[in-house]
Amino acid sequence: MDASIILEHLYLVVMTVIFSVVVGLPIGVLAYLKPAGRKIVLWSVEILQTIPALALLGLIIIALGPGKMTVISGLVLYSLLPIVHNTCVGLENVDNGIKEAGKGMGLTQLDRLISVEIPLAFPMIFTGIRIATVTTVGVAVFATSVGGGGLGKIIYQGIRTQNINLIVSGTVSLMIMAVLFDVLMIWINRRLAKGAHNKAF
Amino acid sequence: MIRFENVKKKYGNTVILDNLSFNIEPGEFVVLIGPSGCGKTTTLKSINRLIKPDQGKIFVNGQEISQVNPVKLRRKIGYVIQQIGLFPNMTIEQNIGVVPKRLKYEKKEIQKITRDLMEMVDMSFEEYAHKYPSELSGGQQQRIGVLRALAASPPIVLMDEPFGALDPMTRATLQKEIGKLHKKLNKTIVFVTHDMNEALDLADKIIFMEQGKIVQMATPEEMLANPASPLIRDFMRKSSLATDPLNLTAADFMSANVISVQKKKSIRECTDIMARQHIDSLVIKNEDETYAGVVTIKDIKKHGKSSGTIGEIEPYQNITSDILENAKDSFDKLYNSGDNYVVVLNNDQTVAGIISKTSMATAMADTLWGDMQ
Repeated sequence: MDASIILEHLYLVVMTVIFSVVVGLPIGVLAYLKPAGRKIVLWSVEILQTIPALALLGLIIIALGPGKMTVISGLVLYSLLPIVHNTCVGLENVDNGIKEAGKGMGLTQLDRLISVEIPLAFPMIFTGIRIATVTTVGVAVFATSVGGGGLGKIIYQGIRTQNINLIVSGTVSLMIMAVLFDVLMIWINRRLAKGAHNKAF
Repeated sequence: MIRFENVKKKYGNTVILDNLSFNIEPGEFVVLIGPSGCGKTTTLKSINRLIKPDQGKIFVNGQEISQVNPVKLRRKIGYVIQQIGLFPNMTIEQNIGVVPKRLKYEKKEIQKITRDLMEMVDMSFEEYAHKYPSELSGGQQQRIGVLRALAASPPIVLMDEPFGALDPMTRATLQKEIGKLHKKLNKTIVFVTHDMNEALDLADKIIFMEQGKIVQMATPEEMLANPASPLIRDFMRKSSLATDPLNLTAADFMSANVISVQKKKSIRECTDIMARQHIDSLVIKNEDETYAGVVTIKDIKKHGKSSGTIGEIEPYQNITSDILENAKDSFDKLYNSGDNYVVVLNNDQTVAGIISKTSMATAMADTLWGDMQ
């Protein structure tokens, strides 16, 4: 198995997560700020999540044509839910006294978000990003069916040629990648929390 | 400084502020008090536009506040809340500097302000400035909460039950400190509480509210002397008992309804009284009305004769307590002596009453739930 295939898969995952954060974080913040639209937004990202990944990629192919960008856009849509959801809920969960104090002292809404609310909600937001990342590692397997490449290619090849070794090696690589991402990000989150903790205690 | 003109606010069909008009002078310490739901907090939050009234006008410093940018308005009005609301992700110094920083004060100036303010409440800058709120006790956190509100020297400070969540000792200390700060800094303070003692201690003027209306606006002395409604009287009495158990005396818990006889009364008469009143002992007084002791029905039986006077029987020296004695000490006596009651004596040694377990229970119930009679 070629290392470039693993790199290709990594590329898909990392690009997907970056775009998901860029799109999902603002949507989560907006959903938090506008309680009227919150239900619709959360409901929409949940619906997206229920569409089978393969079908979603198929639909996007029709719109965008095959290729890496198609794969990444599909995967982004698919990984929005945990990020949007955790951002919105994380911000909502910030203590009301803290929010009221900020407002009463004359902090603007943007200032409150940046200086207080997002920093306090960050551990939860980061957990959302971690869940999105680990899910994407698995879902990106479908990329190969729309010309995106990655480890899915190895597994499909193994299925077509009935080569157990190929299937197993592809699968194990995926599993290791998912576990590594998970462990690494848990560690980062803990370090960040500990940093705050060290400062605090 | 702050003027309300016919301010009205409704939530659905519930009237929260009912045509409220009043005036607060510069430098005044005004306490808003009343039963829950009376509109005191709504009144407070209308001043910094956290709540928008339906009708009427509010003026701060001569300006109609609906015409002022809320962010600018709030930066000139300090705000302290019960939940404290320090920002946990910022150090104490950063917390105190929140508003000055946004008003573009220089770094050095902010540090000087922080240092000076912390000194005023006896908190060392070196020790605490770089700590995070979670490292401080509740009382210390609220001190910082108050300092944060004062940092940009706003002429007005709003306080929404700032000490409501603190233990009584800490609360008392912070009350003293806020009183001092007010005198020193000459701020106009609007303070919401439901604790009448707090109001009486701190206020220049108390505004008592009920159902969105002002029932009475007066100085503490005036309110104590002439409460405008039974509810206010109730508030003052209940809180004076309920919140300060340390100051209760034997007098607060005794029953004055004590049956006592002079030594010259005949034994026969005494047994009659005891039978009629369903009691098994009598408080005996000397000729000059001073306390002599207690005679029980057992003592009379032991004496054997029903002729003669009660003074012939050696009275039992029941436990006694001075009328001004701390109530707790009287209770200790009651429980530790094994006697059925404590005889409470006036300064001149005459009998004032007795404290029994029953009188104690009644007095406690009065304290908790109001007058039981």
